[in-house]
Amino acid sequence: MVLPPVGVIAVFIGFPVGAAIAYTLGKTGGPNSVMSLLAQHEHVAKHGVTTAPYREMLSNPSVREDLWSTVWVTIVTVVVVVLVSWGIALYLRLNDTWLARTVSGLSVVPLFIPVVIASYSIAIFWGPDGFLRSVAYHLGYHGFPSLGFTLTCVVLAEIWVNIPFGVLMMSSGLNSVPNALIEAGRDSGASMPRVVRSILLPMNVIPTVIVATFTGIYVLGSFTVPYLTGPTQPNLLGPTMSNFFTAFSQPQQAEVLAMIVFVLALALGTAYVWANIRASKRAGATS
Amino acid sequence: MSAVESEGVVLGGLGEAELPVAAAARGPRTSMRSVGMRMLGGLFVVCLLVFMIGPIVWLGLRAFSGLWQFPQLLPKQWTVAGWRTVFKDPNLSHSMKLSFEFAPVVTLASAAICLPAAYAFSRFRFPGRRVLLISLFATNAFPKIGLYIAMAGVFYSLNLMGTFLGVVIVQLIGTVVFMTWIPTAAFSAIPRSLEEAARDVGAGPLRVFFRVTFPLAAPAILVAMILSFLAAFDEAQGTFLVGVPNYITMPTEMYTLVLNYPEQVAAVFAMLLAVPSVVLMSLARKHVMGGKLAEGFQIR
Repeated sequence: MVLPPVGVIAVFIGFPVGAAIAYTLGKTGGPNSVMSLLAQHEHVAKHGVTTAPYREMLSNPSVREDLWSTVWVTIVTVVVVVLVSWGIALYLRLNDTWLARTVSGLSVVPLFIPVVIASYSIAIFWGPDGFLRSVAYHLGYHGFPSLGFTLTCVVLAEIWVNIPFGVLMMSSGLNSVPNALIEAGRDSGASMPRVVRSILLPMNVIPTVIVATFTGIYVLGSFTVPYLTGPTQPNLLGPTMSNFFTAFSQPQQAEVLAMIVFVLALALGTAYVWANIRASKRAGATS
Repeated sequence: MSAVESEGVVLGGLGEAELPVAAAARGPRTSMRSVGMRMLGGLFVVCLLVFMIGPIVWLGLRAFSGLWQFPQLLPKQWTVAGWRTVFKDPNLSHSMKLSFEFAPVVTLASAAICLPAAYAFSRFRFPGRRVLLISLFATNAFPKIGLYIAMAGVFYSLNLMGTFLGVVIVQLIGTVVFMTWIPTAAFSAIPRSLEEAARDVGAGPLRVFFRVTFPLAAPAILVAMILSFLAAFDEAQGTFLVGVPNYITMPTEMYTLVLNYPEQVAAVFAMLLAVPSVVLMSLARKHVMGGKLAEGFQIR
């Protein structure tokens, strides 16, 4: 029963990715021969493998700039998403007022909106004739910067897109902490911040790791958001990859960038897998 | 405020404004601080409102604007010309039709492929089970564009470029993870004793599945199917790479629109593209918020 999806993945992801790895190391034959026909400026390994494509991309100053932007945009987004979703989820856990319900409703709005539209509307909203600049103008502040099509706008849009997942995961984690535990902490004289620090925080580590890794992986590999909200250069590696493929006809270079992003994402993924396995081991030990 | 308290506030992130309110509400004291915190909380909600809803409302206004110049806060003239353009343009209406053809096909195919696997993952402890679950996740970590470029090579040799099947496969790839993980968690949450009880009173395995297991897992399966439908419906990059020039769906068309059409037409099209998401997610809202989505992300 497990075979069909594993088969689909193996044929349409595993095999192409394997071929792509070989391609970035200079193997242009076999499954890569069609792509190789279209490719410009290709590095071919006569025998063995070559790291020339990697060396070329990593020494390209504009690619390095893109890599750097990708890393800092990812870090900022992950930190903000984790903090904000922790905050919102905590607030929802401890309050059941109409205000809390409004906040919870607001925080999942992005789930309802396709990413293409979200990116487009966010770029306009923060852009040169957008809402914030208009409001600032009416308030007498004429120098409000236009954030549309900047890396800041990319960060804002990535946060927007990733908040619902963060809030849902954190809420689900915090909701599984029994009320009795919180009450007990309160009854024995702990202040609310103390309860948060000593009870809720340690019990919500796994959801926090999940939110951080999935958000990080999403941002690293994202295309639509930076493409529609970001500047032409430097932008994240997603659009750069696409440029190398479609605009410059250099699939090998595009795949090298994909590998770099993949390695970064896998590093994050390891944290996720490690946290999950540790958690399920602990669950197995206690039950 | 003690050192311990202030530390907790930092850890709470943005919730900091609200924490002490909860603390104050428990005791009889309602101080100036509580009022201040309430105002801060209100301010936070207003910021969240502007940040979350603002862009969508702003885009919605644009869909009806005839004349709108900086720094006006509302359009000067209202019009529905953009809507007429969209419905009259044969390319645009054709892409809408295509989108509504692909998404259901992909969702059903994905369900047919992944649901049996989800059941097996939750009910049978076979060797390599966890490795397979994790490798599903690894596919999620490979950047999509890189994957599509790599897939394009394979698709050329299999003659799948520019075909209906090719587009279905590209869109299906993006749904496999949801379709396996979320139902797996749901099946695992159903106590085996329930199934055994049904079997003890004489129900066959199929009957047990359809009368006991399936109805209990149905909400999670619904969430998975809706997420898959939306993932397929919103997929633009791979569809563009594989489907061009025969199959241009709504989101792929959106890229062209953003770059080449008047802003207003793009705004109208964007509003239309959002309709299925809003409708479907509203239907599943209760289950998504209830944790069905979150449960799917913990590997057991």
